[in-house]
Amino acid sequence: MSRKARKWLRFRVTLVAVLFFVLFVGLLSRAVHLQIISGSVLKDLAERQHTRNLVLYPERNMILDRNGQKLAATIKVDSIYADPSKISDTDETAFRLSNVLGIDRSKLAAALSKRGRFCWIARQVSPDKKKRVTELGLEGVYTVHEPKRFYPHRELACHVLGFTGIDSSGLEGLELYYDSHLKTQPQNVFWGRDAKGNSIYRAAVGTGPMEGIEGADLVLTIDGKIQYAAELELQEAVRNTEARSGTVVVMDIRTGEILAMANAPAYNLNAFKNSNAEVRRNRAVTDTFEPGSVFKPFVMAAALEEGAITEQDVIDCEEGSYAVKGRTIREANAKKYGLLGPGEVLKRSSNIGMVKIAERIEKESLHRYLSSFGFGSCTDVDLPGEVGGVLRSPGEWRPVDLAALSFGQGVSVTVLQIASAMSAIANNGVLMRPYMVKAMVDETGTAASEFQPTPVRRVISPVTARRLTAMLKDVVESDNGTGRRARISGVSAAGKTGTSQKFDWSLHQYSSENVVTSFAGFFPADDPKITVVVVLDEPRKNPWGGVSAAPVFSKISQHIVTRFNREIDLNRVAKRVIEPEFPIMPASAPAHRADAGVFDLTKQKSSDFPSPDFTGFSMREVLQAGKELGINIRVSGSGWAVSQKMQPPAGPGERPVCFVSFSSDFR
Amino acid sequence: MKIDRRVLINFDWAIPLLILALCVVGLVNLYSACSNVGNGNTTALYLKQLYWIGLGLVAMLVCFSVDYRLVIRYAYILYGISVALLALLFIYGEITHGSQRWLVLGGFSFQPSELVKLTMILALTKYIDERNVGTAFSLPALLGPFLIVMLPALLILKQPDLGTALFLVLLFVSMILFAGIRMRAFVEMCVAGLALLPALWFIMKDYQRERLIMLLNPERDPLGAGYHIIQSIIAVGSGGLLGKGYLKGTQSQLKFLPEQQTDFVFSVFAEEWGFVGVVFVLMLFLVLILWSLNIGRRARDFSGVLLVFGATMIFFWGVFINIGMILGILPVVGIPLPFMSYGGSCLVVLMMAAGLLMNVSMRRFVLKS
Repeated sequence: MSRKARKWLRFRVTLVAVLFFVLFVGLLSRAVHLQIISGSVLKDLAERQHTRNLVLYPERNMILDRNGQKLAATIKVDSIYADPSKISDTDETAFRLSNVLGIDRSKLAAALSKRGRFCWIARQVSPDKKKRVTELGLEGVYTVHEPKRFYPHRELACHVLGFTGIDSSGLEGLELYYDSHLKTQPQNVFWGRDAKGNSIYRAAVGTGPMEGIEGADLVLTIDGKIQYAAELELQEAVRNTEARSGTVVVMDIRTGEILAMANAPAYNLNAFKNSNAEVRRNRAVTDTFEPGSVFKPFVMAAALEEGAITEQDVIDCEEGSYAVKGRTIREANAKKYGLLGPGEVLKRSSNIGMVKIAERIEKESLHRYLSSFGFGSCTDVDLPGEVGGVLRSPGEWRPVDLAALSFGQGVSVTVLQIASAMSAIANNGVLMRPYMVKAMVDETGTAASEFQPTPVRRVISPVTARRLTAMLKDVVESDNGTGRRARISGVSAAGKTGTSQKFDWSLHQYSSENVVTSFAGFFPADDPKITVVVVLDEPRKNPWGGVSAAPVFSKISQHIVTRFNREIDLNRVAKRVIEPEFPIMPASAPAHRADAGVFDLTKQKSSDFPSPDFTGFSMREVLQAGKELGINIRVSGSGWAVSQKMQPPAGPGERPVCFVSFSSDFR
Repeated sequence: MKIDRRVLINFDWAIPLLILALCVVGLVNLYSACSNVGNGNTTALYLKQLYWIGLGLVAMLVCFSVDYRLVIRYAYILYGISVALLALLFIYGEITHGSQRWLVLGGFSFQPSELVKLTMILALTKYIDERNVGTAFSLPALLGPFLIVMLPALLILKQPDLGTALFLVLLFVSMILFAGIRMRAFVEMCVAGLALLPALWFIMKDYQRERLIMLLNPERDPLGAGYHIIQSIIAVGSGGLLGKGYLKGTQSQLKFLPEQQTDFVFSVFAEEWGFVGVVFVLMLFLVLILWSLNIGRRARDFSGVLLVFGATMIFFWGVFINIGMILGILPVVGIPLPFMSYGGSCLVVLMMAAGLLMNVSMRRFVLKS
């Protein structure tokens, strides 16, 4: 190789080296472009490709009654969805799905032909439908478990509980009011995903553990058994009197706890869509009515407290006709009364007597007492949609208005207001705030927070309260009292009836046909524990409070007395009963069926040998209790215990024998 | 065989050290690229690669021990053997991915097309050295070297393996251009090449046409033909400046990246080590290539220069085409990345080429030209 040729060769090698260097710089600049300049964009792309952000809605917390029984729980149901991108024959798929699900075919086809990789086909379907869809084996159609709110007792406490929408958010009642507590926070969970779409926990890819899920169950002041009894009796009363609707509120006098709050007609919470909004309203707090005579005790309370009247006073009831500033006041049923004491005025529910009593009080003073009882303002109960009713200020009162107010006209109240005001009288004059939720308990059953009774104010003195209670006891317990049908066997009761004509807005006068009948009372009269208020709207038969509403009070109270074994003590600590599955209560089951389970039979003891009251319990429970108490049980019939006969032990060392008859048709 | 003392004194340490460095980086990266694969036989790929590296080192030793002039002397025989092996493929070849590329010898499977790259360089070196000392090629004079290339290229195209066939043509063109070609012949060759392009279009399989189109517009079919390129760009780009960390590349570990042990192995590396890693590896390759060219500059004889140049071309075009592909600026052709992609025959042949480089480097003083 010549020197020249060598030089030339060397030059070419160097040229190639420079060329290669430039090409390498070209590669590097491309790498700069991809990794530095578009790095973040491509990073996002990668992120989107390999992660999926799932929003998990953990199970909504439960609602339990005061005894720990589930009123609202969450179960898993199947929903069907599709990945339209994986469906080749949209029409065929839509056709086959519509055959199984009964959904319009064109609607399905429209949903399936959408872009994207997800669409719902049918949510919360029956296991049977899910199975049939799975059996179709359609490409791109999948099922998924979704949480669904389930109300084991269907109608029980429906107006109180409310319900949730399909995405587990509360829409009514306590579900709405305590939505933020019941709803567990949705969790954003990042999942890794490989190229084949298999899910991998993000932790496997790199970042972040899952957050813990917290939550608290609601323990209500509601007692499922009392609630059930109240609903049953109310429904029957509404049916028998052909009323439009009815409402019952049962309240613990000392604490303000609502033990039951029922409206009729009721609706099935698991199928709330089948009922109309009218039925779903919790009338106990959302609707007002003119109370009528049931309002009289509160006016009387003001008069007694103010010293405007004493038991020794005598009121001239004008023989049934009394003119006040151009309006003639009459007694109900055109009764005519002469001279009556204040107790008699209440007992016979004399309108004229009440007008005369009210006339003895200052307007402002009466107004102060009535608002002090809570009328005209919300009770602040923990339920949505509460209204406060109307109690006009005394400046607006004409003399006729004062007269009307004395027997409950020209004022509008809610059933709950009546219940809490009546409880104030029974509670030695102290008004308690009514409340629905007793505690919030966490998963382990320990109370995360407990709600304490809240005294609102003293309305009347204890002495006045006792004097008024005595009068109200007379209304029920004396033989000619208007509330005599409210009597409870074995326990003295006190209360007041009410029958108010509804104002007919089309005729601008009080209707003679449409009335609201009511009874508000409490028991035991000598040591008040529980208030029960019953209101029936437009009963067609027996349109009198003393005839239609008072018996309902009596029956419900009777149930409560039985339930608490004549020893009314509600100060038990609510404990969550952990049970595998709460039996769904048959709608036709007798009220006492509700007693089963929690009520402890073995606690009932007598001096010689145990003689428990088995009434209302199931055969299994009776046998179990018998075993624990050392009684030989002889059974007959089937269903729930209706009667029993105790036979003392034949001799020492022998066991007593109890013959218990059962019937499926209790009562 | 007598080895001159000066040969050992001039032992070129840079080449084996650079290559070992690349092999180690490649092995470490291969471990990551295999780690996500569940079944056993593929997980052991990096172990197999380790055996191949050992075998390659032996081959390298053989290649620099024998005087390269002796090797060139028998170049046609070596070339003939490798072409015969290529032809043998059509009888005994093992079919994978729809093409016959593998010859199974004992327990090893072996790709004759890789060997042909090197023997063809040797044959071309011999031919150019003997016929064309110091003078540029005219077009008729190119017929000889053209035939030398076209015989194996057509055999490889028949496998079919368009990428490797084109790679041979590329080596040929590089060699001829380097050796010197008359301007007229060059123009005529370009025209002929351009005229052949449409023909090439018809030779190409549908998927190959697709790939070419995809390079221009990968988004046209992101789940089909454009998938490789898009996934590679995403993987490389999402690596950013510093990368996602070793064994933490989401795109590769989650198997979004296709062919990640072989052709797209560098995407895994770029994703996990970022731009910094890319620069590091590119620098290693650049130093290797410039060092090799420098050997050529100092080689005593023309055949040595040609041999070095040809061997360096195998490195360079391998690196450039592969990395250009994973960076999305060149079409997806199955060209592995030297020293880093999994593949035994490729690695051994590259090691042999490196051995020849060292061979020329070490014997630059002992030759009597």
